[in-house]
Amino acid sequence: MSPRRLLLPLIALVLVLPGCLPSSSVSEPLRAVKLLLGFRPDVQFAPFYLAQEAGYFAEAGLEVTIEHSADVLVLVADGRADFGVADATDVMIARTSGIPVKYISTLYDRFPVALIGPAGTVPSDPAELAGLRIGTPGEFGSSWHALLALLEAGGLTRDDVTIRAYPQFNQVEGLLNGDVDLITGFRSNEPLRLEAQGMSVDLLTIDEVAPLPGPGLIAGDELLSSDPALATAFAAATLRAQQTIAADPQVGLDAAVAAVPAIAEDRETALAVLEATIELWGGEPGAISGFIDPAVWGPGYGALERLGFIDGSVPPGDMVLDVLALPD
Amino acid sequence: MRRLATTLLSLAAFLVAWKLLTVVTGTPDYILPAPEVVAERALRAIGSGLLWEHTAVTISEILLGLAVGATSAVAVGTALGKSVVIERVLSPYIVAAQSVPILALAPLLDIWFGGGLLARVLICALIVFFPIAIATMVGIRAADPLLREMFRSLGATPGQITARLEIPSALPVLFGGLRVGVTLAVIGAVVAEWAGASSGLGVLINIADQGLFDTPLMFVALATLAVIGIGLHGLVVSIERRVVATS
Repeated sequence: MSPRRLLLPLIALVLVLPGCLPSSSVSEPLRAVKLLLGFRPDVQFAPFYLAQEAGYFAEAGLEVTIEHSADVLVLVADGRADFGVADATDVMIARTSGIPVKYISTLYDRFPVALIGPAGTVPSDPAELAGLRIGTPGEFGSSWHALLALLEAGGLTRDDVTIRAYPQFNQVEGLLNGDVDLITGFRSNEPLRLEAQGMSVDLLTIDEVAPLPGPGLIAGDELLSSDPALATAFAAATLRAQQTIAADPQVGLDAAVAAVPAIAEDRETALAVLEATIELWGGEPGAISGFIDPAVWGPGYGALERLGFIDGSVPPGDMVLDVLALPD
Repeated sequence: MRRLATTLLSLAAFLVAWKLLTVVTGTPDYILPAPEVVAERALRAIGSGLLWEHTAVTISEILLGLAVGATSAVAVGTALGKSVVIERVLSPYIVAAQSVPILALAPLLDIWFGGGLLARVLICALIVFFPIAIATMVGIRAADPLLREMFRSLGATPGQITARLEIPSALPVLFGGLRVGVTLAVIGAVVAEWAGASSGLGVLINIADQGLFDTPLMFVALATLAVIGIGLHGLVVSIERRVVATS
């Protein structure tokens, strides 16, 4: 039999066979997606763990792999990861530096960083920060942006306070040691850790003083132009998980424990951290929408421009793409 | 002259290979900047004073860490080389200190010593200590036993034997340890800055990477560290040539 005579029945078989098979075996395969997180595995990432375990990602046609890196923005921009979680303020700086990445959906409705100190010692007016010793991870990230924005709101500069860097994020130990008067930290994390060590604390938050947009989902320009529906599907599945957890934090804790068993070592604190994190997302399930709020982005952009982090060459509209608002 | 020409040729080849890599792969500057982009960024960092501000801090940490680490390492290495009992007692602790990753230990030292220059010098000294101490110990033991016997027969005290025989004969090995030590001192300073510092090249790397998303500036800081390492290594080699030849 000649090769051509062999080929025809084979082609016929390939064309006919799918129709004979059960429908599940020919359904669309899941799209492999890589998500990069900048912090260590933690209960604050419960929405991603839940979306994986409860099948929200799979229902959206996604098979998500979660990895951790310190260079989320660069790796997402370069297409080595599809999505990431990053600070909005970092997106503004990166985008202005020419890194092709956009903020696509809000995770934290409220800016998570605050100044934290022993109860009764934290000023309520940023102008009273003058002369204090403040511990922060370093001259990068949301903590640094929040600290400078607070100082600016009080009519101060970095030279009016003594700043001590804790690049290993161990500023809690510095505060407990008495090496600093105040520290920057996540409202949903450091206060709980300090209270667990017996220190009752007060907070100076930034929301009312100098609003900045909080962390959110990011994606690279290339993915957003080639497949915006993928970004919408990913953001929607994440939002669904956030809303589910907001309605029942225990579900989120269980998912986090299943993904990161070490979290079970202290379930009580982990649940408290998760509940505080839910407050930062927006609180009630109905208030968590992923919406990118121009009323916060505008002033935040202005603050970063005044502080010299960005030069205004890239407008805020070029830094965001609200994928949840895209038409179907 | 010939040596300088070889070095310059090797540097030129490296720069051409680097440039070709960026052109052929089309890698964006935020992943792998081309050499001329890094050079332009270096000029701006030098012009603004930013580079020197951070370099001066790192150099002071390296030199102080090296001084503290090398001095104590030579003293301890000499004791280890001369006394088997001291070696048996101290060796496990020295090896244990060397085995614990300095990256994990550095934040603890930073907290214990209240941050600041002292903590950074200690971290730097700790990483420098081991190769120099071991080199000193090996060198002291390598002294010719016949010469040692001759010194004794001539009535030399233990101190004189150490100063006039053992240390001079240990110098070639000791300088081997120093060559390793100076390059480790550069790493030690950066690790110390990553544990807690407000300035220094390690801090500049963090700021460029995590704060400014300025990859060319990161390369400038890394190149500066490399130049410091090469310079210090060259200095040790030059001193070694003179001292060892004299001894």
